[in-house]
Amino acid sequence: MSQRFDVIVVGGGPSGLTAAQRLASRGFKVLVVERGRRPGSKNVYGGRIYAHVLDRLYPEYVKEAPVERWVRKERLTMLTKDSGVTVEFEIKSVEHKSFTAYLTNFTEWLSRKAEAAGALIVTETPVDSLVIRDGRVVGVRSGADEVYGDVVIVAEGINRLVLESSGLTPKLQPSVVGLGVKEVIKLGRSEINERFNLDDDEGLAWALAGYPTHYVPGGAFIYTNKDAITLGIVVYLEHGAKLDAPVHELIEEFRLHPFISRLLKGGQLLEYSAHLTPIAGLGAMPDRLYGNGYLVVGDAAGFLLHLGILIRGVDFAMESGNLAAEAVVKAHDEGKYDEEALSVYWRLLNESFILREFRAFRNAHKVLNNPRLYSDYVMLMNSFMARYFDVDGTPRRIWDTFMSSKGKLTLTDMAKDALSLVMNL
Amino acid sequence: MSMDNRKIPIEERLNSNAWDVSQRPHIRIIDPDKCRKCDTKPCTFLCPARCYILSQDGTVLFSHEGCLECGTCRVVCPNNAIEWTYPRSGYGVQYRFG
Amino acid sequence: MGATVISQVTPTQSVGKGEGLTIIVPVKAAVPNITAVRLDPVTHNLVREGVPLMLNPYDRNALEFALRLKDRYGGRVITLSMAPPSGKDFLESTIGMGADEAYLITDRVFAGADTLATSYTVAMTIRKLFPEFNLVVMGEETTDSTTAHMPAQVASWLGLPYLYYVVDGEVNLKEGTVRLTRYLEDEGVFEEYEFQMPVIVSVYKDSNPPREISLSRKIQARLGNLVKSVTNNELKLDQYCVGLRGSPTIVAKIEDAKPIPRKKQVFKGDPKEAAKWLIDNLTKEGVIKS
Repeated sequence: MSQRFDVIVVGGGPSGLTAAQRLASRGFKVLVVERGRRPGSKNVYGGRIYAHVLDRLYPEYVKEAPVERWVRKERLTMLTKDSGVTVEFEIKSVEHKSFTAYLTNFTEWLSRKAEAAGALIVTETPVDSLVIRDGRVVGVRSGADEVYGDVVIVAEGINRLVLESSGLTPKLQPSVVGLGVKEVIKLGRSEINERFNLDDDEGLAWALAGYPTHYVPGGAFIYTNKDAITLGIVVYLEHGAKLDAPVHELIEEFRLHPFISRLLKGGQLLEYSAHLTPIAGLGAMPDRLYGNGYLVVGDAAGFLLHLGILIRGVDFAMESGNLAAEAVVKAHDEGKYDEEALSVYWRLLNESFILREFRAFRNAHKVLNNPRLYSDYVMLMNSFMARYFDVDGTPRRIWDTFMSSKGKLTLTDMAKDALSLVMNL
Repeated sequence: MSMDNRKIPIEERLNSNAWDVSQRPHIRIIDPDKCRKCDTKPCTFLCPARCYILSQDGTVLFSHEGCLECGTCRVVCPNNAIEWTYPRSGYGVQYRFG
Repeated sequence: MGATVISQVTPTQSVGKGEGLTIIVPVKAAVPNITAVRLDPVTHNLVREGVPLMLNPYDRNALEFALRLKDRYGGRVITLSMAPPSGKDFLESTIGMGADEAYLITDRVFAGADTLATSYTVAMTIRKLFPEFNLVVMGEETTDSTTAHMPAQVASWLGLPYLYYVVDGEVNLKEGTVRLTRYLEDEGVFEEYEFQMPVIVSVYKDSNPPREISLSRKIQARLGNLVKSVTNNELKLDQYCVGLRGSPTIVAKIEDAKPIPRKKQVFKGDPKEAAKWLIDNLTKEGVIKS
């Protein structure tokens, strides 16, 4: 029996499965190799998917995909141990912009799409490395087995063990990733609607900064699902050494924060998970995204846009899978899969929202890596509010209150930081 | 027991997950001596599953059973002392929600 | 190693000789760690929603035992399972490990079966599809229901000898015999038995650590359609002996075993004093008598 395929996809997550679905539906013989017991069983993310890519690639998703709630409320909180400053945006709209979902379910749905298109998805088998002959990738290796393909799409996720063991990228550095730790907590549907002030299919996306990571760069998130909420923290690993409590304690302290725990009363823990996430934009990319016989997509390519409040991974992953598929089709039409033919992938990325947005936000990581954002400014805003609203007969003029709240921050620092935030985000 | 007013011990949190743990560890400490001499031991406070524990005599003890497969330990280890791969044959944590 | 016992068991059936072994490994899907499964507070039924089913861990040891025999003596290993259509997935895992073929026994009339009806269905399937088999090899028990009924009941339906806690086997193809070693955990004793095949075996759960699932085998499982389905149309089993109708067991109630509250006390100090302190306290609590 021939174990030869037109295309081998390493990893059955959102990027790999999208590539597989696109190519299989064009008649390519596609193999997806997934390490988990079933697609989705090793995937973890924050909790929200932006729908614009689905509108284009899987328009039937509105009816079929396992959507939990449509996000119509965005909230940002600067949190201290006992106070918080919140900005909230709410929209009464029927437009479908983003939704909360369980990534395991969603990935499984994508796998059914890929299978329906004719892709062969094989689970329980990790790829150890790429088979490289005469400087070209010709297949994948798993244990003692080698399987061959004309082109390999590497969708292995953030850890890049395959690219690294194949000598195609250096080891992942702490400076380009964040550690996300997450709890899924079951809560009744009506409790969620009441406590978060939501209609039945409406969702909340809530980003928090400051106390959840003990004022170290990173943040926290809460998303509402139908009858559960997902809650988690993200710590930039570069700053991990500054933490004064272990990560597995931080998330519990956040959950037990008086403003949070009262929202979760009577909840029940369903799952505790963790995952690394690219945070450095263009800086999180491996050396090369294509070469002789291979392409890199999704988290493995560093395709996650992290703007502090706004975090987008799945839409970038799916679009990169889609573009990789397009590149393979074009290279196939040319009759070769060498570096030159596959360079069309880079061109497609450049024309797409992926690299356009990455370039627009190329300094975002540098700005967001500023520790003052997570400590001094959180304190400033909270103490300003505390002083301003503390009516005791002393006149509280905004400017004076502000000046007495700023602590050790200088006005020059603030002006510089404000400018750099506005210019780069 | 309610989780409203108490920290859930890490063991109990891990127990809420579905698992199929292999008897063959997918993590190996290449040189325990490096870990003993390591000043910062970041694995002991950055592993979200508390798989790495500092024992009283300064050695780092680890277990692979509760591994959430995030890869943090490998990335933060300053000595490249951790050999870390994914479990084979579908073993390990079985996320139901992700 | 402790005492060794060898006993001879009378043959019950003649075996085809010289073509390698035909080994049947019945398997089941199970929830590997039961803590993820909850009890519905109202109905007291197990809530399996969202809990992934997978090949029962102890069945993997059984399959490994069978594959080792096949590696040494040749022949074929066939897995089978009575399960809903989704059972195809975990049967593919058995092909991935090295089984040659797998059979999914699936039919509405088999639903709701207890161990008696299941063992009947499995035993009759083996008799009908593989009358020439040499060994039926099964796991010690499942991790989620832990009855350990199946292998003994299958042996009983087939009227064949049965040996449990088996860790190793040596086959004499010419004579059609197998010498099986079993391990009795409590006694710390190994025993050896010799049988005329066929024979039913259940494998000690801490022996024969399962081999890895191979990528090329999993691809073959799909491309070669190595997992086949059989329904009662082919098997023609008496519907009063299978499924819910063939099941005398009724689960009246399942209760959540609440954790027992512990009186936590810590004593620090000299081991001798600690021992005395422990004995005094246990006596005071009525756990032991002075």
